[in-house]
Amino acid sequence: MAHFNALASSWWDVNGPQRILHKMNLLRMDFIYQTVRNHLRLNPPETAVEDEIYIPPYGVDLLPDAIKKNIVAEQEQRRDEILENAKLTVLDVGCGGGILSESMARLHFIDSVKGIDLSEDVLQAAKLHRAKDPMFVNGKLSYQLRAIEDLPTTEKYDIITMFEMLEHVEYPSKVLLAALERVEVGGWVFISTINRDFISWFTTIFMGEHVLGIVPVGTHTLDKYINQTEIREWFESDPQRKEAFSVVDAKGCVYLPAYGWKFTSTPDVGNYFMAIRRMK
Amino acid sequence: MQDIVVIGGGPAGLSLLAALKSSPKTRHLSCTLIEGSSLQSVRDFLVEPPEEYTNRVVSLTPKSVEFMQQKVGNWDFIKQDRVRFYDNIVAYDSQDNDARIEFDATQIGAGVLAVMCENINIQSSLIGRLNELGMDDSTTILDNTKVIDITSPIHHDLDQHDLNEIDVNSGKSDLDWPIVKLSTGESIQARLLVGCDGYNSPVRKFAGIESRGWQYNTFGVVATIKMQYEDHRSIGWQRFLSTGPLAILPLSEDNATIVWSSTPWLSELLLKVNPDIFPHLINAGMTLEEVDLKYIYSMLDKDPNDFKVLDEIQWRLSKIDIKSLEENYPLPVVELIQNSRARFPLKLSHADTYVAPRVALVGDAAHTIHPLAGQGLNMGQSDVGFLVDALEKGIERGLDIGSTMVLDSYVANAWPGNHMMLGVCDKLHKVFTTDFGPVVLLRGLGIKSLNMAESVKDLMIKAISGR
Ligand SMILES: Cc1cc2nc3c(=O)[nH]c(=O)nc-3n(C[C@H](O)[C@H](O)[C@H](O)COP(=O)(O)OP(=O)(O)OC[C@H]3O[C@@H](n4cnc5c(N)ncnc54)[C@H](O)[C@@H]3O)c2cc1C
Ligand SMILES: C[S@@+](CC[C@H](N)C(=O)[O-])C[C@H]1O[C@@H](n2cnc3c(N)ncnc32)[C@H](O)[C@@H]1O
Repeated sequence: MAHFNALASSWWDVNGPQRILHKMNLLRMDFIYQTVRNHLRLNPPETAVEDEIYIPPYGVDLLPDAIKKNIVAEQEQRRDEILENAKLTVLDVGCGGGILSESMARLHFIDSVKGIDLSEDVLQAAKLHRAKDPMFVNGKLSYQLRAIEDLPTTEKYDIITMFEMLEHVEYPSKVLLAALERVEVGGWVFISTINRDFISWFTTIFMGEHVLGIVPVGTHTLDKYINQTEIREWFESDPQRKEAFSVVDAKGCVYLPAYGWKFTSTPDVGNYFMAIRRMK
Repeated sequence: MQDIVVIGGGPAGLSLLAALKSSPKTRHLSCTLIEGSSLQSVRDFLVEPPEEYTNRVVSLTPKSVEFMQQKVGNWDFIKQDRVRFYDNIVAYDSQDNDARIEFDATQIGAGVLAVMCENINIQSSLIGRLNELGMDDSTTILDNTKVIDITSPIHHDLDQHDLNEIDVNSGKSDLDWPIVKLSTGESIQARLLVGCDGYNSPVRKFAGIESRGWQYNTFGVVATIKMQYEDHRSIGWQRFLSTGPLAILPLSEDNATIVWSSTPWLSELLLKVNPDIFPHLINAGMTLEEVDLKYIYSMLDKDPNDFKVLDEIQWRLSKIDIKSLEENYPLPVVELIQNSRARFPLKLSHADTYVAPRVALVGDAAHTIHPLAGQGLNMGQSDVGFLVDALEKGIERGLDIGSTMVLDSYVANAWPGNHMMLGVCDKLHKVFTTDFGPVVLLRGLGIKSLNMAESVKDLMIKAISGR
């Protein structure tokens, strides 16, 4: 038990070995929140005509400022209302010590979060830390030792997250496919991983493992890295998949030691986040 | 158990509570504010303000006013008939009354330089705003309640826990949340403890945050006074004496407030001088030469009730050209409001950081500043703004708001600006307490002085208006 305590404290020490993940969590929570928020359906089919809000066909940018301001304000208010009543379910795959799972579970529009991982140890650490916030007394956040492939396909989620784990698995496309099979129509799969390029090798393996020692040696192997273009091609390659899913966004990001994580201009280099939506 | 416990019901603490309850993102947080003294006079002020001005008056920057209007929403509850906007400060020397600098708001493209307002007016407007928002279970104010101790819970051995059950006993020590012990015998455990508890901040001590600075060996004597009649010029006056600056700042109608920075000896004298002599002493301080002032001080030192000084002052004032007296000086002070004199030690201090895990410092708990540019309370308002921004962002990101992952951005945004302001006011203090009058000094430097005078002027005007 002492071992798990130590593991829990080290996972959750924001100045400890997982500091990079804690810092990354800030940026990815922004990415998830903004993506979900910006793609809400503002006039769902059951909306009465008089309650519909106006969505300009060519976007708001062409409109005069005053009108644009009003329309944007109205849209933002509608987004707030929709989120106020939303009750989304989340599956966090490869949840580790629960950094992302806890954050998702605190959002008011999330109904429940299930974190799964293959390591008994990290799950114990996650549970220990969960017990330190009375907020989770309500049972909103649960953890399970399970591979995603072993969850029934009837169990569907509005949001599935797989952050910083695809680079650790033997067959990433299998895991991604398993996620696609378990996401609701209109729902989201969010992933993050690393491009297999020179910069990634240099920053994450060479610098991270060997020079800076911020991640344990052996954490990453270059041949498991997937380029974001490969994921896009993988979607294109299958007509059914192509029709059912859309890669809505991909953003590159980089860690600057004194600053934290920030988005870069291209998702093709180094680390990236990706948002995939199930359209039908 | 509370999400946020705020210690201190001064301007900073009440502003923070009202700002948290005004923001749609933080409104739901359970908050308790604890104040050691009674807030009854603050509540009474809201319903029935006293006739006379109270003696704690501050100069608010336009930025603070905007913050109160837009973010906190308490400006509507300010008793507007008791605030005074002013657009100009005239500063001059005891060494040469003709050496003057004018700080005019129009020079920086603004109509208003700053606003004079009583501390209690601000506090009561915040209570008004909180009442309007509705005091429900998630908003508690405990006044007449002192924090007697703050402790960190001992970490229990978590080994006993059955991890498949969520097991959190409220108020128990398996939470790393600080526990606040109250004079009423109650204890509250807080996810985030915010110290708005002033210069001696018990919260800062609990968190082990170092605060650096020094005493100026100077006291600020404040008083509320009446001028001969209402001055429609809306000017703040500041005269640099070798003992420190003396300022008269306008309030509504014929009221005004003074801040007389002075040596310990002079400040004691100012407090004990007969209340009927005091107004004349201010007139002397705003006008007469240092040698004359020294002579008058010495008379009063021997006998604070020596009405003969009135003749001495009157005779000297009568030698000054009446037209110049009317145009270039404040109106005569005619009355001291009873019991309105008080003195405060002036000091500079700045905490090394404003946060620790589950702790944040706001307002005077984090920094104290020389009042010559009237910034203390304004800096606290800007702190509140940055802290609420950080908490809103933390909530949007689903973080534990007690975590330094959330609080760090508060320090990053608030600290550097405050540090600069502290530095500016410290420099101004040093310039202003030279034995030479600073304005004379600047003028005496010839060609260069113009630029230098400009830069001191810029510093001052930026400091006062908070831009
Ligand atoms: C002479 C003078 C002139 C000034 N002029 C200006 C000006 O023109 N403009 C300006 O902006 N500022 C001015 N200031 C500064 C301004 O008054 C302060 O910055 C401001 O009042 C600080 O507010 P605060 O809420 O941070 O602290 P405070 O007002 O000090 O409030 C702290 C509160 O915490 C409470 N407290 C402390 N310990 C405990 C405890 N253990 N339990 C319960 N409660 C506790 C206290 O009772 C108090 O109410 C001036 C200051 C002085 C001295
Ligand atoms: C670097 S951690 C990331 C943790 C978490 N997702 C985050 O970003 O905060 C990678 C985690 O993925 C888990 N993992 C690796 N392969 C997995 C798999 N096939 N299925 C589920 N989890 C896996 C590991 O046990 C580890 O906890």
